[in-house]
Amino acid sequence: MLKYIIKRVFWMIPLLIGISLISFMIMHLAPGDITSNESAFNPKASEESRQKLREMYNLDKPVIVQYGLWLKRMATLDFGKSFASHQKPVFWQTTDKDGNVTKGLIQEALPITLMINLLGLAITLLLAIPLGIIAARKYLGWQDRSITLFNFIGFSIPGFWLSLLLMYWLGVVNNWFPISGLHSLNYDSLDTWGKIKDSLSHLFLPVVIPSITGLAGITLFVKNGMLDVLHQDYITTARAKGLNEHKVIYTHALRNALLPLITIIGLSIPGLIGGSVIAETIFAIPGMGKLFYDAVLMRDFPVVMGILTIGSALTLLGNLLADLMYAWADPRVRRGVVKG
Amino acid sequence: MNWPLFKKALSNPLALAGFIIIVLIFLLAMLAPLIAPYDPNEINVKAILLGPSMAHWMGTDGLGRDVLSRMLHGGRISLLVGLVAVGISTLIGILLGAIAGFYRGWVDVLIMRLVDVMLSIPSFFLILAVIAFLTPSIINIMIVIGLTSWMGVTRLVRAEFLSLCEREYVMASRTLGARDYRLIFKHLLPNSLTPIIVSAVLGVAGAVLMESGLSFLGLGVQAPQASWGNILTDGKEYIQFAWWLSLFPGLAILITVLGYNLLGEGLRDALDPRSGHRK
Repeated sequence: MLKYIIKRVFWMIPLLIGISLISFMIMHLAPGDITSNESAFNPKASEESRQKLREMYNLDKPVIVQYGLWLKRMATLDFGKSFASHQKPVFWQTTDKDGNVTKGLIQEALPITLMINLLGLAITLLLAIPLGIIAARKYLGWQDRSITLFNFIGFSIPGFWLSLLLMYWLGVVNNWFPISGLHSLNYDSLDTWGKIKDSLSHLFLPVVIPSITGLAGITLFVKNGMLDVLHQDYITTARAKGLNEHKVIYTHALRNALLPLITIIGLSIPGLIGGSVIAETIFAIPGMGKLFYDAVLMRDFPVVMGILTIGSALTLLGNLLADLMYAWADPRVRRGVVKG
Repeated sequence: MNWPLFKKALSNPLALAGFIIIVLIFLLAMLAPLIAPYDPNEINVKAILLGPSMAHWMGTDGLGRDVLSRMLHGGRISLLVGLVAVGISTLIGILLGAIAGFYRGWVDVLIMRLVDVMLSIPSFFLILAVIAFLTPSIINIMIVIGLTSWMGVTRLVRAEFLSLCEREYVMASRTLGARDYRLIFKHLLPNSLTPIIVSAVLGVAGAVLMESGLSFLGLGVQAPQASWGNILTDGKEYIQFAWWLSLFPGLAILITVLGYNLLGEGLRDALDPRSGHRK
């Protein structure tokens, strides 16, 4: 297992270098350089801030040196300071000479996005696994057909539209849930129970709506995994020796059917992180997605580059975790019998 | 195009439904200049935020523009962006996948690592970042969506080529001294076309969703040019007074994307012999 982990971690190095190259290329996409007026940089920006940008990305140096310095920034996770948000550090907190700590933008935003996505993923799984099992057991029956129909709609519905409609219906018309932010204005004056209730009601819409749209893919996956497993010999054996159907499904089939789910969850991480842009913008959640969107609108390049890199690194980390979990759950992968 | 297979695909009721939806939506979009009752950009201060009526079937927006006319013209943009973006990504995917699968060796390793890198950058972040450095325009949106979604096709074409290269007819042709381009264009590519078409059809669904999402965020198709996504952005502002501004564009996106998804999955079911094993 240790050998597998080491191999898998080293595997990430060329990918990280690739990510650094692509992000570096994006930075140089702008016509002229990113500080010039032809690019999308705010034309009202002062010469001083342009100069800062040039210094920060060493635009006066040869391209290869620029790339080397960018790689160094990535390796040390130093993405500089934001232009738009009062010179806050992009990634992690800094302490000035008087001992004042300034929190990093990503440092503040990341836990919120992670929490919302993990809660959403938990809800998706709680619903998708039973739905997938039902669809597989009643394959081609009416239950399966209605779940399939639901899946098609789930794949096709624009998440932001569904958010907008439900926000209007549940939040504005019926006033059941608050429609923006993470807390009410009077949050600090509430008791503990009130704080929990307030947070949960604020989280309801931004957590539940994306998990509805994510449901379709996972349900389909559980169903297909289950169908594949149910056709294997060991299931026939289990049935032949007289096990009841409940035991066949839940103790024999389910474990193997759910294995590939680990990989799928790992692979869905970039989609979840990227998808948080629209959800967080609609519900005014101060997470990574909103931070990124605001940075794009303000042309706050240090923040854009920082989030792009951190988001990719998180994806790699998520895939690594998924692979390790898979190897842990499936001894065949661990021992190199089959490829995970 | 393989007509018997195409007919077989359309005998699948889901695929047929998807096909009809798409044909209808394309007809509506193409005929937009003829059938749209108003100029989509004509501002009418006397008709602001009117609900659906005989004069304005889908109501009017905050500037008094006719929503139906904007929907029809916006549909042209949304469909065009979807098609061109997927055209770009499919071409790149075929090219890279064919090179990787045919020549193998270090080129293959290099291309597949590039695929891994691209897949580990959250694509929505990547697209937004590129747009932050460029200016949002229809052309840029199509190129950017295309350039960030070719990885699936590449993997697919590569896998097809790898397995087809082992087939006897390909080996026979190679033994007879066929040149690389002949092997690729006469033997390998035509035989990998089916999965490529399925993935392209499903890809258009994704691209239409992506464009509408970008336009909704104000980073896609720019006003006054209408697209379903940016009509919805206006709808968001007026959601308390004008439900029609939010409902219709969302429905249009849903139906179009559903059409492509139904057609794609139906084609996959009909054309992929492996998918029949459970029946």
